[in-house]
Amino acid sequence: MSKEVQELVKRLRPSLSLAEYGRIYTDTTAYMEISYGDVIEIDNQHYLVLRDEVERSFGIEDPKYWVKRCIHLETGERRILKLVFHEKFMLKLGTLSIPCFRSPEKEARILDLVRGDVRFMQGLSRFDKKGNVVRIIEIIGGKRLDHAVFEIEASHRDYFYEHLPPILEKFIESCRAIKFLHDHGEIHGDIRRDHLWVEYGTGQYRWIDFDYAYEFEENPFGLDIFGLGSLLIYLVGKQIYTMSNLASQGFGQEIASTIEQEDFSLLYKNRIVNLRKLFPYIPERLNFILMHFSNGAEVFYETVDEFLNDLEPCLQEIKR
Amino acid sequence: MNPKRILIAADASENAKRAATYVGEIIGSRPGFEIGILYVIRYPDRDLFPDDSSWQNKKEEELKKAQLVLKELKGLLTEKSIPDSAIDATAIQAAGFSIAQAILEYQRENDFGTIVVGRRGVSKAEEFLFGSVSNKIVHYAKDCAVWVIE
Repeated sequence: MSKEVQELVKRLRPSLSLAEYGRIYTDTTAYMEISYGDVIEIDNQHYLVLRDEVERSFGIEDPKYWVKRCIHLETGERRILKLVFHEKFMLKLGTLSIPCFRSPEKEARILDLVRGDVRFMQGLSRFDKKGNVVRIIEIIGGKRLDHAVFEIEASHRDYFYEHLPPILEKFIESCRAIKFLHDHGEIHGDIRRDHLWVEYGTGQYRWIDFDYAYEFEENPFGLDIFGLGSLLIYLVGKQIYTMSNLASQGFGQEIASTIEQEDFSLLYKNRIVNLRKLFPYIPERLNFILMHFSNGAEVFYETVDEFLNDLEPCLQEIKR
Repeated sequence: MNPKRILIAADASENAKRAATYVGEIIGSRPGFEIGILYVIRYPDRDLFPDDSSWQNKKEEELKKAQLVLKELKGLLTEKSIPDSAIDATAIQAAGFSIAQAILEYQRENDFGTIVVGRRGVSKAEEFLFGSVSNKIVHYAKDCAVWVIE
């Protein structure tokens, strides 16, 4: 078997040399077995596996054994192959825990829906010989939007007036992209800070990872909209503010003492949402949107349209 | 809308039982009332299941559950002396996203003047993320009374 892979690599990518040559897999059911040096063959195309992807959270690396970083031997391009892995787990969102389902079929369907739409990661899905749907994802050369924003070297005031307007403009387009999914009966399902990327070169914002599905609820878009709101709060603040980091960010007791229960996030109880108390130059209208995601909120956005109807005029206001 | 036609919005919760019991207590053997019990079935999404057969099993389970709930709620009404002939128990499948909208549509099409719905009491965060059938009914109902039973 190793010899078969060695010959395949030699024929298709002679410049590649590997420490180990593994097996060729046409059935990806046993994804745990597939590792470095193996080749996944789908539709007569060959993907050399380099490693399993890992998710990094709070300094801990969590391997995702069903997600393989590969080289497409026919073209030499890098690809991520996501293999079939169904799981149900409790997703913790601040104070709530929600049953969440990983659905390869949902992500494959969305990849088809958004083909050619640069606001989303791109890829295609193909079936292996056993009928497992394999998602073949193009890698985005870029970085997380929140990291890009955090790294901007500017005072908050300068950031707010000089950097935020074009960021907000692109973010609004990202919100329209989510509306596009909703209009087609889909949800993103996992809108969080590490799932919106800025592409190097183009500066395009692109959503990634669409495989989370949920039990149906009366407000099917609530989770996505809450994710958009949390992202907006981060972008407006340039970071997350909590009572414990206020002092290190230069806010004295006179500001901290004004923060009340209703100023915190509805879900993440330590996050300050009422950013106007920290930065009085944030317009009332923009802060009003943030407060929809706070403990003090009495009405909630049910659609992206409602959210955008409030947000779009703010862009004009801070551009002035 | 006919105020003597009362629609109970049913689901598998204790709140729905409380709603039915409440209607039974109020109406009892008074003549001229017609009670509808509506269970809107929302089949789980195919995305939540690894294969078709487990999905089909779950759908059958949901249908059976709806039938059992309807039978139980009807029993709660007849216990309070509402005649069997005055009760219509129906299960329908939700066509769109919203159970509340399906209930309101059924109410309008079938001339119910009152909707009775149980409320389980959700937190603000839950209402934002998941929505609330009872709150939506209260918000969107027109030309009819809504009784919310907590």
